[in-house]
This record gives sequence, C-alpha cells and structure tokens, in this order.
Amino acid sequence: MTRLPNSSMLRAMLLPVGLIIAWQVGVMLAASSDRAPMPSKVVVEGWKLLSSGDLPIALVQSLGRVLLGFGWATALALVLGALMGTYRAVDRALDPLIESFRPIAPIALLPLAILWFGTGTPAAAFIVGYAAFFPMIVNTIHGVSSVDPQLIRAARTLGVDRLTILRQVVLPGAMPFLFVGARLALGVAWTSIIAAELAVGAKAGGGSTGGIGQMMFVFYAYSVDLNGIIVCMISVGLIALLFDRGTRRLEQWMLPWKR
Amino acid sequence: MKVKAPSAGVGRAGRVRRVPAFPARFRSGLESAGLYLRTMLVFVLVWYGAATWIDNPVLLPTPIDVAGSFAELAAGGEMAMHFLASGKRLLFSFVLAGLIGIPLGIVMGLNRLTFQLFDPVIELLRPISGIAWIPLGLFIFGVGEALPTAIMFYGAFFPFVINTIASVRSVDPSYVSAARTLGAGRAVVLWHVVVPAALPGILVGARLAAGAGWMSMVAAELIGAPSGLGFAVEWYRELLMTPKVLAFIVLIGLLGYLFDRLLRAGQRHFARWSQREGIT
Repeated sequence: MTRLPNSSMLRAMLLPVGLIIAWQVGVMLAASSDRAPMPSKVVVEGWKLLSSGDLPIALVQSLGRVLLGFGWATALALVLGALMGTYRAVDRALDPLIESFRPIAPIALLPLAILWFGTGTPAAAFIVGYAAFFPMIVNTIHGVSSVDPQLIRAARTLGVDRLTILRQVVLPGAMPFLFVGARLALGVAWTSIIAAELAVGAKAGGGSTGGIGQMMFVFYAYSVDLNGIIVCMISVGLIALLFDRGTRRLEQWMLPWKR
Repeated sequence: MKVKAPSAGVGRAGRVRRVPAFPARFRSGLESAGLYLRTMLVFVLVWYGAATWIDNPVLLPTPIDVAGSFAELAAGGEMAMHFLASGKRLLFSFVLAGLIGIPLGIVMGLNRLTFQLFDPVIELLRPISGIAWIPLGLFIFGVGEALPTAIMFYGAFFPFVINTIASVRSVDPSYVSAARTLGAGRAVVLWHVVVPAALPGILVGARLAAGAGWMSMVAAELIGAPSGLGFAVEWYRELLMTPKVLAFIVLIGLLGYLFDRLLRAGQRHFARWSQREGIT
C-alpha cells in the first residue's frame, strides 16, 4: 500500500470528488428550480454563515448543552457506577431500574421534558443527559468490577485507606472502560441534541432556543434554504468526528499502556 | 478506515453474565425476578408519592392513571395500530439495510480496490447522524411513510457495512488456504468458508443496526410522520394528556427491551460459538 501512495490517494479521492462533481453538474443541467442545492452554493453559504458568526454561535450553544447534559450524567454515572461495581447489594437494588429505563429511546422522553422544563436549555440538557447516562454507567460498573480483586486486597494489606484505593487502584483499572463509555456517551449526546433542538423547533414553533438543530429547522421551515441545511449537516458531522477522534487521542495519551 | 480490534467495554448492548447450569439457573431466575419486583415496587411507590405531592396530573400523573391509560390504549387497538406502523417501517428499512450493507461489506472486506473506492465515502457520511438528515429528508419526502423509513435505513446501514468488513477480514486466512488447497473454487470458499466464519460478527452488526434504527425511528416519527410510536407520544403531549404520553413511553421501553432480547437470542442461536462485541 505504501509502495504507491499516489495511486491509493487517487483511488480514495475518486468517488467522493466524482460524486461532488456529478452533483454539481447534475444540478446545473437538470435542476427545475434555483432552490436546488449544489456544492458551489453550499461553499458560498458556508462561508457566509461562518463569517456572519451565526454558525459558530449556534454550534457553541449546542455544544454548551451537550457538555451540561454530559456533565451531570457523567457525575451521576461515576458515583452510582462505582457504588454498584463495588457493593453487590447496591447493584442488586439499582440494576432493575437501569435495565428498565435503558430501552426507552431518549427522544421519546422529549415530549415529557418539554412539559416539565419548557422548550429551553433545561429540556435539552435533560434529554442529552438521559442519553449519555446509560453508556457511561454500564461501562463504569463493568470497569470497576473488572479490577483485579487481588490488587485491592494487596493495597488493603499494606494498610491503604479506602479513598486512596479508589483513587490509586480502582480508578486506573477502570479507566479504559470509562473512556469507552465517555466516547459512546458523547456520540449519543451529540445525536440527541440535534434531535431535541429539531423537535423543539418543529413542535414548539421556533422561538429563541437557538442551537444548530434549531438553525436547521429554521432553514427548513422558514427560509427554505437547502444549502444552509447542508452546511449544518456538514458541521454536525465534523463535530461528531472531532468528539470521536478527540476521545480516542485522549485515551492514547492518558493510558499509554493500552496502545 | 481503521478497523479496530474489538475494544474493551460494553456498548448499548449490555453486560455479559455467566449463566449457571439448569437447577441453579431456575433458582437464580426466580431470585432475580424477586429482586426486580422489589426495586420496581419501591420505584412505583416513590412515583405515587411524588405524583400525589405535586398533585398536577398534566405534569406527573400517578402510576394508576398511567396503567389505566395503558390498558385503555391497548384494549382500544390504538397501541397495536401505532406499533404496526412503526414495526413495518423498522422491518422494511432493516431488511433493506442488510440486503445492501452485507454484500457491500463482504466485497469491501475481500477486495482492496473496492475498499479503497468506497471507504472514503462511508467514512465521510458516517459521522453525520441519521437525525441530522431529517430536515433535508422532510424537504425531499415530506411528512409521511418515506421519511422515517429512509432515516432508519441510513442509521442501520453503517453498522451492517462496518461490522461485515471487520468480520470478513478477521476470518483466519489458513481456513481459506486450506479450502483452496483442497481444490475449492472462489464461490465455494466464499459461501462455505468466509460467510460462516464471518457470521457472528455480521450478527453483532445486525444487533447494532437494529438499535440504531430503533433510536432514529422515534426521532423521525416524532417530527415527520403521521403515525407510529414517536408520533403518538408527541400527539398526546400536544393534547396535554400526560398519562397517555407516559403509557406510550412505557410501551417504547418494553418493545425496545423485547427487541434487544430477540436479537440476542438470534445471535446465540445462529452463532453460539462467538459472543464478541461489535464496532459501533
């Protein structure tokens, strides 16, 4: 593969570039309305949205909500997961609740969240947190309970207190699982914030909730700007990619022995 | 694309528990049912207490109200109607995603040129979640049957392709060489060696695909469908009939659980020699 880097690069570019050119030419030749999106207009629109600051502001708003929801979910999941992974009684008491709520798709709770919290940030943060909680707690429990008990016993024998064991033995042992949980949780959190903002926009008639999902809905329903929608989709994909690669990098950097 | 080795950790899928032999298994089944009931009883009591404390059936109805609505909706056939609408779409998009995704994955796993051609497109599209396609889909398809089906297809497609590629590649090359040495032709090797060896991984992909389809189903129906479970939840929210909203949420949870059980059982049945985690 490394023998001919140019030809494999060429092959990799062939289909994406070909499709984009076909899209552009196809629209230019056959489009019945000038609303039809095409790559050149998407680029222009993307530049406009970037330089006017609308897109960055919407992205920052959505990211803030994701971090808020991810934050409370992670905090709760780490505490509960550590308890459930350590004490069998806690696990037996709480496991049925987790197993019962996990199959409920987070978006299904959105109507309920709107009833409880209105259409603003709290409802979105609730949905995001709900979505992020389950991958996080399942992996925390698994990680904590997979720590070699001999290591814990050894530390105990050496007279180390519980809190230090938690910090120095259990946490590093569970870390790989926590990273898997965080990566999955961030992925679903980002997906559900888009869904939540879209649905809030669609069902609560717009309003000033902001965020990238809301922006997409405004482009769909009010200004009928398909190029704008595609710019939003591309930025949604880029952020998702960034989350995924970022957590993987962080994991490699923090857990060099896992490489 | 870097196809990673099955990584540590548990996905949406859940924990793997060791199953003891039969008599002990029966006893532990009873015991875990008891534990389940105990916890849920406490939960329902807390819910009841909170509902009477808040005393506002629109915000939080009591469990009794919700159970009543559930029974009413189930008996009136409304639940069956929405379930059938959603189920039909889910099944159709799942089968379609498998029919396209599995053969594409096999070809991409075996042939490097095809992989080099298609992989960049897949990796460029994959980060864009199905839900982000909803506004464009609404514009193209309008509110109706096609939008949720298309969104679910999109969500289910990538787990199928990616897990198929990974499992085709992880087939032990010595099996292939052995079959070749014994004079098997390409088609025979593909059908009798590669496909059976890759099947466990493909089934993991199927389970992840079903999970992804299920997630995007509710979102797509909530925004752009005239029927289905997601539609029903939002419909009763607009009417401020919270007991019915909760009844449908309970139904979604129950179905999601049963669905996952079913796929796991299928996975155990068709590929009992393997229980590995997939690539999400």
